[in-house]
Amino acid sequence: MKTIIQHLAFGLLGLSVSVTAVAGPEEDRKAFQNFYENRFPDTPVNDYQNGVYSILPSAREQWQSIEEFPPYELSVEAGEKLFHSKFANGKSLADCFGSNGAVREKYPHWDKARGMVVTMERAINECREANAEKPYGLKKGKIADVSAYMSFNSRGQKVNVVIPSDDSRALAAYEDGKEHFYTKRGQLNFACADCHMYTAGALYRADTTSPGLGHATSWPVFRSKWQEMGTLHRRFGGCHKNIRANPFKAQGSEYSNLEYFVSYMSNGLEFNGPAARK
Amino acid sequence: MKNGLRIIAVSIALCSSVAFGASNISAKKAIDGANAAYKQVAKETSYQWTVAVGAIKAAKKAFDKGNFTEAEALAAKAMKLVEATKLQAKIESETWQMRVPK
Repeated sequence: MKTIIQHLAFGLLGLSVSVTAVAGPEEDRKAFQNFYENRFPDTPVNDYQNGVYSILPSAREQWQSIEEFPPYELSVEAGEKLFHSKFANGKSLADCFGSNGAVREKYPHWDKARGMVVTMERAINECREANAEKPYGLKKGKIADVSAYMSFNSRGQKVNVVIPSDDSRALAAYEDGKEHFYTKRGQLNFACADCHMYTAGALYRADTTSPGLGHATSWPVFRSKWQEMGTLHRRFGGCHKNIRANPFKAQGSEYSNLEYFVSYMSNGLEFNGPAARK
Repeated sequence: MKNGLRIIAVSIALCSSVAFGASNISAKKAIDGANAAYKQVAKETSYQWTVAVGAIKAAKKAFDKGNFTEAEALAAKAMKLVEATKLQAKIESETWQMRVPK
């Protein structure tokens, strides 16, 4: 009997240890932010919204001078025109997102009715489709222009991703994004975390890797490499190609869940997109 | 003499076509095998390496040009890459959580 009780006690102890070992999203976020605070003690948390420039003082000045005449300005203007252009039915994107589209803080969010993560780019296209218009492409061009305009008008809003506790599918989507972030892929055997956590700030060929904290705040982005605007999912795909993994479909569940996780990790930071990046 | 030469020529032609045919079949089999394995791993794990796709495409291209030996070698390379992809998926499913900061 004594032995049985001992076994039960050990079993319960083991169970309690395993339960505490599974961290929830908020514990994840705190550990995530603590990691960067320890790794880059000179960088204030709020500065991570500036991407690699938050940890790379040598390039910051050059980037700031680029931001004086930002290359995304034309995209914001084009996005403004598209945003207010009338659909065939007389409505416009403004009917879905308000007069200036300053709704960045609402995305990405969990759509309980459909059981999926909705990104701002998805919502833009769904608005068009709901008004009998063709959706835009998913990675660049008009989708990036409209997103740039809406993000520009949303500057200063804070990332506030919510994982509703009354829908286990939301947590599953978050966990899926989390697993994606920490899982090695491609022939080069890299996880997002390898470049953007554990070796953030290191040189890969001629490029310094950015910290993962703040990754979701500044999109869409004008990348010098692209010489045009692109969405976050375009960048996800580019990262995967870099490590010799086949990219997933933009706005598919893999990248949407990844955006959900990455954005949640940046909760509390300010949206400051669109931005210029190398 | 003339007949002798004809016989030799026909024999060479026959031999080469037999060798040619065998290589053709094995190359096709190797490409199909790599392609099927690639699709299966992609379906089961969502892991896909661009280099595996590239090797399969290159094998098909070599096959279409009639370079069956090269095609078979590329298909074998693709198969190894697919096997490595599968192994990566297995290892990662068991170890990714080690990278999560506590």
